[in-house]
Amino acid sequence: MKSFAALTPFKRTALAAASMTLAVGALSLPAVAAIVPQGVALAAKQELVRNNGSEVETLDPALVESVGAANLGRDLFEGLTVTNGDGAVTPGVAEKWEQKDPTTWIFHLRKNARWSNGQNVTASDFVYGCQRFIDPKLASPYGNVFGPFLLNGADIVAGKKPASALGVHAIDALTLEVRTAGPVPFLPELMSNPNLGPVHRATVEKYGRDWTKPGNLVSNGPFQLKDWQVNSKLVLAKNPNYWDKEHVQLTQVTYLPVEDENTDVKLFQSGDNDMTYQMPTGTYAKYRQQFPNDTRNSLILGTRYYSFNNRDPLLKDVRVRKALSMVIDRDLLAQRVTADGQTPMYGLMPKGVSGADVSNYEWASWPMDKRVAEAKKLLEQAGVKPGTKLRFAMNTSDYNKKMAIFAASEWKTKLGLATDIESMEFKVLLKKRHDGDYQIARNGWVADYNDATTFLQLVQCKSTQNDNFNCNPKADALIAQASETTDQAKRKQLLTEAAKLVMDDYPLLPLLQYGLPRLVKSYVGGYSLKNPMDHYGSKDLYIVKH
Amino acid sequence: MWSYTLRRVLLTLPTLLIVVTVCYLLLHATPGGPFDGERKVSAEVLANLQAKYHLGEPLWKQYLLYLDGLLHGDLGASFRYADWSVNELVLRALPVSLAIGGVSMALAIVIGVLLGVAAALRRNSIADYALMLVSNAGNAFPSFVIGPVLILVFAIALKWLPAGGWDDFDPRYMALPVALLVMINVATVGRVTRASLIEVMNTPYIRTARAKGLAMHTIVLRHALKPTLIPVVSVIGPLAIQSITAAVVTESVFSLPGIGKLIVNGAANRDYTLVLGLVVLVTVVAVLLNLLVDLAYAWLDPKIRY
Repeated sequence: MKSFAALTPFKRTALAAASMTLAVGALSLPAVAAIVPQGVALAAKQELVRNNGSEVETLDPALVESVGAANLGRDLFEGLTVTNGDGAVTPGVAEKWEQKDPTTWIFHLRKNARWSNGQNVTASDFVYGCQRFIDPKLASPYGNVFGPFLLNGADIVAGKKPASALGVHAIDALTLEVRTAGPVPFLPELMSNPNLGPVHRATVEKYGRDWTKPGNLVSNGPFQLKDWQVNSKLVLAKNPNYWDKEHVQLTQVTYLPVEDENTDVKLFQSGDNDMTYQMPTGTYAKYRQQFPNDTRNSLILGTRYYSFNNRDPLLKDVRVRKALSMVIDRDLLAQRVTADGQTPMYGLMPKGVSGADVSNYEWASWPMDKRVAEAKKLLEQAGVKPGTKLRFAMNTSDYNKKMAIFAASEWKTKLGLATDIESMEFKVLLKKRHDGDYQIARNGWVADYNDATTFLQLVQCKSTQNDNFNCNPKADALIAQASETTDQAKRKQLLTEAAKLVMDDYPLLPLLQYGLPRLVKSYVGGYSLKNPMDHYGSKDLYIVKH
Repeated sequence: MWSYTLRRVLLTLPTLLIVVTVCYLLLHATPGGPFDGERKVSAEVLANLQAKYHLGEPLWKQYLLYLDGLLHGDLGASFRYADWSVNELVLRALPVSLAIGGVSMALAIVIGVLLGVAAALRRNSIADYALMLVSNAGNAFPSFVIGPVLILVFAIALKWLPAGGWDDFDPRYMALPVALLVMINVATVGRVTRASLIEVMNTPYIRTARAKGLAMHTIVLRHALKPTLIPVVSVIGPLAIQSITAAVVTESVFSLPGIGKLIVNGAANRDYTLVLGLVVLVTVVAVLLNLLVDLAYAWLDPKIRY
């Protein structure tokens, strides 16, 4: 889970009037688990082995940070809502919900939701889970990410108010009120996040840090913890107390923590693994040919980009940043260099994101000759002479190296600029980026929730996530305006405009939208290719007779 | 002998202290900290995290706190794995590494000595060249090449064994990593045994034994083998330690949950306590192995007395 920083602080003043006029809406969607198409025969043995990319940092939903831990979090715990295999929000523990006013939501919990120990899941479990997550004493890395969405969340994370002041209250055992700091139209999706899910208080209090260990962990999701051997495997078994167990086909899911992509593929080839986490660099075409029925690739809400240090003496001139961006042939990069099903990007927003339209640079459709001529003119105006050296920082990986060499070659052949590529450990790169100790740096971002604001964090003036150190107050004002409006069309228009405005400053260099190619055995059913968040809950999957 | 052993064990303590101190300083001097993530945490959360792990204290105080924990057998809390202490992680990983390392070392010694003896007795014959060629191949090819080849042949093509993973000391999961480590180590043991036996066989007391008409197998087993093993024992210590460092690659190739994998993850994540805990462990193992080697000398060579 690559993530994002806090939103622009909400202003409560504008909300009162809006809340008076907002009609109370009721939302109720059908629950969807593994729907097996008619005519599909299921295998007798419903057991899946899937690689999770690395050992998870925790099973405590409040502390979950990585993609792998979030995958397990969604299998073990169920929030108020759930995102299904197509990325749509469906009911979870809450069977329905309604928005009373722009900042108040009421979630009605289903009566038959149970913990794995058979006890009822109540609204108090959500209050406890959310308060625990946001309490700075727990130091959850995501506290300051989701906290500001909720009423008093920002102050609680900052230690200015107690966790009990959080805008999440139990009206009764089966009714939960969630009050937000401003209009959060995507709140139902946000509440599907394991961080904001329920926690079984008695278990935490009884076992302390050991509450997540096998034998201790009490969870409410479609699966329960059976075994956990660190760095070896983590085994989940179907939760017999799960309210929707009839629609859960898998009886056992084994998560592997294999980091080496080549080992991952070999385990797949030998039949010891049904789903790889990724594919090794440069092997997509080969494996697509070798395993045509097993290769699955879908675009996700993520962007590969290069950060420009906007404070750098050379790059502080927008003309230089623009010239560097213009001459990169993204089509060539996607088709010939990475060659693994990724899509060129010419703006901040990836395809499929909610809350804003994709807007591309005007020159994206120009022929390359024209782009190069314009870029040269810009450099000349900025006084940058051919032979000028650029410094590029990246974390060591074959994939990053291929892309960096391509970019350096584009700048050299088209603009006459030389590039020193410095490869380093990931932690070192992170430190350099955060400290602004770089000129151009590899970067990437994958959304945590499907809304434009997750990408706007990268370029907002005071965002802790802005490693480019750019600032466009006008764009920030538009985002602030959008955060206060209850009119969704208006909000979308404002955020689209803000993204376009700030990207005209060329704070960063967008390159590709993430595609996620992986090998999935053809007998694994329920694997959707329209999953923008890459959330493949095991309850949506099943094993076809083979 | 006992006083020598005690002296050596006591000498472990300053060695450990030096290793821990140097490692501690190096870890803290490395750019990027445990909480430098893709997303920056807020100042408040960072302060709480630092307080939890004593990172807000001056370095000397952190160091003393760590030493205090170490003296009490507490390797601290892992920075990366929130649900586990370093003690728990190490205790779970160690048996895996010991099993793979121990079995492979034992096999490498037995096979290496047999090959070395066979090659020495048939010096410069085709059998000698063939044996040495095969055993040296294990040394010449890097483990990240041999490992995947073993997987391709035995797991993917023949489907005899799993391609990787671990299942409670199931020999099927141990077979390929053990085979890899045996191939790497057998060449060294074989080469040293061959050279040593050739030298021993040319000594006057072996010539005397021959002149007395003793059978070759009696000469080798009763008179030549023991002195032959002295240089072999010398390389076993370094080889065993090398196996631990080789585990970084082996465990990655076969996805084993041993200490090699923990070291890599710990270093990459700046998990200070985990790395230090493993360094302490590896240092203790290395010191003990060297001690065992020295004690074995005395058993093999009557001239050596402590």
